[in-house]
Amino acid sequence: MTLLRKIIDWIDLRIGVREVVQKELTGYLLPRNINAWYSLGSILFFAFVLQVLSGILLLVYYVPDAEKAFKSVSFIMNEVPFGWLIRMFHAVGSNMMVLALLLHMLSVLFMGSYKRPRELNWLTGFILFIMVQGISLTGYLLPWSQLSFWATTVATNSANAIPVIGPYLVEFLRGGVLVGPPTLGRFFALHVAVIPIGIVALIGAHLFLLKRTGVSAPPFGQKETGNQWLGDSYHYENHPGGIPFFPHFALEDLRAIAIYMACFLAVLFFDPYLFFPKDAFIPANPFVTPSHIKPEWYFLANYQTLKIFPNELIGLSLQGAAMTFLALLPFVDRGPERHPLKRPLFMACSIGGLLLWIGLSIWGHFS
Amino acid sequence: MDNNGRRTFLGLCLAGLAALAAAAGGWPLFRYLSPRTNIESAAKVVIPAKDIPEGEAKFFEYAGSAAVLVRKRDGSLVALSAVCTHLGCIVQWQKEKQDFLCPCHAGHYSADGIVTAGPPPKPLPKVPFSVAGGTITVG
Repeated sequence: MTLLRKIIDWIDLRIGVREVVQKELTGYLLPRNINAWYSLGSILFFAFVLQVLSGILLLVYYVPDAEKAFKSVSFIMNEVPFGWLIRMFHAVGSNMMVLALLLHMLSVLFMGSYKRPRELNWLTGFILFIMVQGISLTGYLLPWSQLSFWATTVATNSANAIPVIGPYLVEFLRGGVLVGPPTLGRFFALHVAVIPIGIVALIGAHLFLLKRTGVSAPPFGQKETGNQWLGDSYHYENHPGGIPFFPHFALEDLRAIAIYMACFLAVLFFDPYLFFPKDAFIPANPFVTPSHIKPEWYFLANYQTLKIFPNELIGLSLQGAAMTFLALLPFVDRGPERHPLKRPLFMACSIGGLLLWIGLSIWGHFS
Repeated sequence: MDNNGRRTFLGLCLAGLAALAAAAGGWPLFRYLSPRTNIESAAKVVIPAKDIPEGEAKFFEYAGSAAVLVRKRDGSLVALSAVCTHLGCIVQWQKEKQDFLCPCHAGHYSADGIVTAGPPPKPLPKVPFSVAGGTITVG
């Protein structure tokens, strides 16, 4: 221990590391009524790191070539020692990450944490949500299975409904008239380089904004649940007498991550093919469309919306409007009240919206 | 047990669990990245004898590495590893001089793999082979 202390002393003398630890970790106080939902951000960060690591490992054997992609994935699954584990870790992990992301967004919504002065936190988070959807969609094509191929065909085809530029946009996305080898090249580049870089940059921005504004206090267990921010000048929201981030809340985060991992590994080991329909195990055949091609569970509501409306443009516009509304929510919902039970209109709309989304997803699953 | 003892005990338990988790994660990772023992690389290589005229050499893959068969001017055959013993480059056959040159640091070997010039510390290792019915079987 003395050696460790000497090393820390040596570093501290040069860069004042103890001051940084005091300011950012032990002296960084969080509200006393903070709850477990606040750990979802840490879970997401951890899940993203796992996705990056397992993704890098898959790159060791995966070949992004239409002729070889499916074979290389089969090789990883069947021949490489523990290849199945790494691949399933990545595939199941992406679904778990989306689930955690949705829960994170719901907690922010219900606790009114998106309200001013945190509009930018919400916006960056919302863009991250779109990017995670993008990285999931592009990754879906890479195994070059029947499922990948046709799900991508349907997904990219929906852009056709956009007037004037629609058909060109579809061709541009695919790199050709139909989904084919050029699509794989594009989606691969987007999946392993472009979108991850964007996500990392946005996570940086999201955390920067969080540090500059300070953590919001949950509206529960307080007499005054309204927004205290006056909007006259920049103000860091500190929490005197609060809980230190390290070690107290870091341990809470660790416990939340452990629970997340337990759920994740339970799916991975006991029901690994939960998210894999049988078409995921058949190599892509551009001449045979399988029946009942469905997207991932988190796109089922979008899929069903497009099916309900006979005019694709209406379906697409409706989704676009809903997404825009959600993205701009902090600018629409400007009331100071943050407690969900004191916001009946918000509660009715959000629970209604959530039920609609779940209903559409179930309908999409069984349709 | 006093408080400090309990603290140490719990610390040790946690460290043990962390070590177990690291091993559980590390072992699959190590196996995943370990070089695969190629079954094919252990197989014999069969080359028709007519493919190697007098004074010529034929390079091929053998046991996951590069090897070379040389038919010397006197008609005798030699099978050698083609990996230079200096820094692992692949040697080149110089037909006119009837010797091997390593292009990396100008190491020279005779047709039998003996070092004649340059930095290689050892001769090229010999590779077992047999000739029967017009075919050469290496390995």
